[in-house]
Amino acid sequence: MKVHTSSKLRKEFIKKWVKGLQICCSLKKNMDILERKKKIKLCADIALASTKNETTLWSIALISDAKKDDENKILVDNLLGPESRFKPRMTNRQMIACHKRVRSKKILKKSRHVCQKMKKMGPPKSNLAAYIAKTLVKRRTQVLKRLVPGGESMDEFSLIKEALDYVLSLRIQVDVMRTLANANEVLNQSDSKIID
Amino acid sequence: MEKREETCTELFQFGEESEFQSLMSVVPPPETGNSFTALLELPPNQAVMLLHSPEETAPDNFTSPEFLETPNSILPNSSPNNFSLVKQEPVDSDSVHNSSPNMSDPVISKSTKRKERGKNVKSAAKKSKSVANETDGDKLPYVHVRARRGQATDSHSIAERARREKINARMKLLQELVPGCSKITGTAMVLDEIINHVQSLQRQVEFLSMRLAALHPNIDINLDNIISAESGSLMDGNGNFTGMVSPPLSNQIWQPDGLTPQPLWGVEEMNPNFITPENSLLSYDSSRSSVSLHTNQLKMEL
Repeated sequence: MKVHTSSKLRKEFIKKWVKGLQICCSLKKNMDILERKKKIKLCADIALASTKNETTLWSIALISDAKKDDENKILVDNLLGPESRFKPRMTNRQMIACHKRVRSKKILKKSRHVCQKMKKMGPPKSNLAAYIAKTLVKRRTQVLKRLVPGGESMDEFSLIKEALDYVLSLRIQVDVMRTLANANEVLNQSDSKIID
Repeated sequence: MEKREETCTELFQFGEESEFQSLMSVVPPPETGNSFTALLELPPNQAVMLLHSPEETAPDNFTSPEFLETPNSILPNSSPNNFSLVKQEPVDSDSVHNSSPNMSDPVISKSTKRKERGKNVKSAAKKSKSVANETDGDKLPYVHVRARRGQATDSHSIAERARREKINARMKLLQELVPGCSKITGTAMVLDEIINHVQSLQRQVEFLSMRLAALHPNIDINLDNIISAESGSLMDGNGNFTGMVSPPLSNQIWQPDGLTPQPLWGVEEMNPNFITPENSLLSYDSSRSSVSLHTNQLKMEL
């Protein structure tokens, strides 16, 4: 069952990726290697996110990040197609405001919790181990938030779910790209052998 | 009197109609005008039976004062009289569940009082099941949590515990997904592994896109390539491309990668394979000094 869904996802991913690359190629010829690499990666990312059909937060965040760049915008719009009803969830200003709001709320919460803790705890850090564990977990969740696209505006609970989904999709992406790269290399080598 | 009746009917929409009628006869006149006091003064058995699934045992009286204030403040959009129970599975309707930790405070305070009566406080009966007939979707969900034996009955800590349990359940799922994580105990270490995994996957994407960029002078990938790749290994679970590559093609570099099935995402196994592609990259495009710099950086990273 899993294999079927994953192969279907793979096909979709490949199709969209190749389509994106073709659009890239038609838009600009003769790119140097670094540009090519960027375009390849971009197309792969967008294709990956579009296979989700906006059901997950990270895919939405990925696409909206890609759209922010003006030069990528055309590519994205073409790739997603006229049937895509995707609109950037918020404008830049809204996103900044949202982040500020989230951050200020967090600061308020934190200060309230700290005050409560100070009142409750007589001897500070009597439970040192738990405190250390908590800080460790906090640091790591921060790092994870940075890794997963759109993670900053997620709460811890949905972050884990999004990370799960993201890992699965990344695996598909890596798998497809690797097999393609391997296949191409092998074919090229065999071609060169024949020529020699 | 009629207003109270209306509010009560809204409250117990998903309950039995007949039970509700019997309730109405028992409800004493409330002291305050708040609609929830009607609920609070109901005889314990009938009231809680309406709110919980039939599997729950005999309920207790809930007289928490918090219950009065919080629902009205928390539910700005929907009518404060509407709430429903949800199923325990966290994977569906996540947006709903994100709001539930806040909303569950009033209901959780109910269950704290129940615990204090000392009825059936086994840890097995930790969370209640949902009512079978759920009403329409715009009602906000409530998660019922029963306090465990010998643990703090403060409503905040119960909410905190419910949240932690949810997070731990999800972490378990993640643990199963990421290889090598099932033996690790402790949230921090598991998170560590997950972070490493995500980082390695992202780096692999970068490397692979670089490889592909080096392979194709124009990024238009050949279609016949795609087709052959599609029919062959791309449909497999691992990167095994024996389907399309004839075995006599002795390719020392790719052998560990392609012909032997290996877990693709074992980080330790990947690293030696990544150094060799960079060598081949250099041979393809040796004139570009920027590329060699890039690959050297990558090697140093590894």
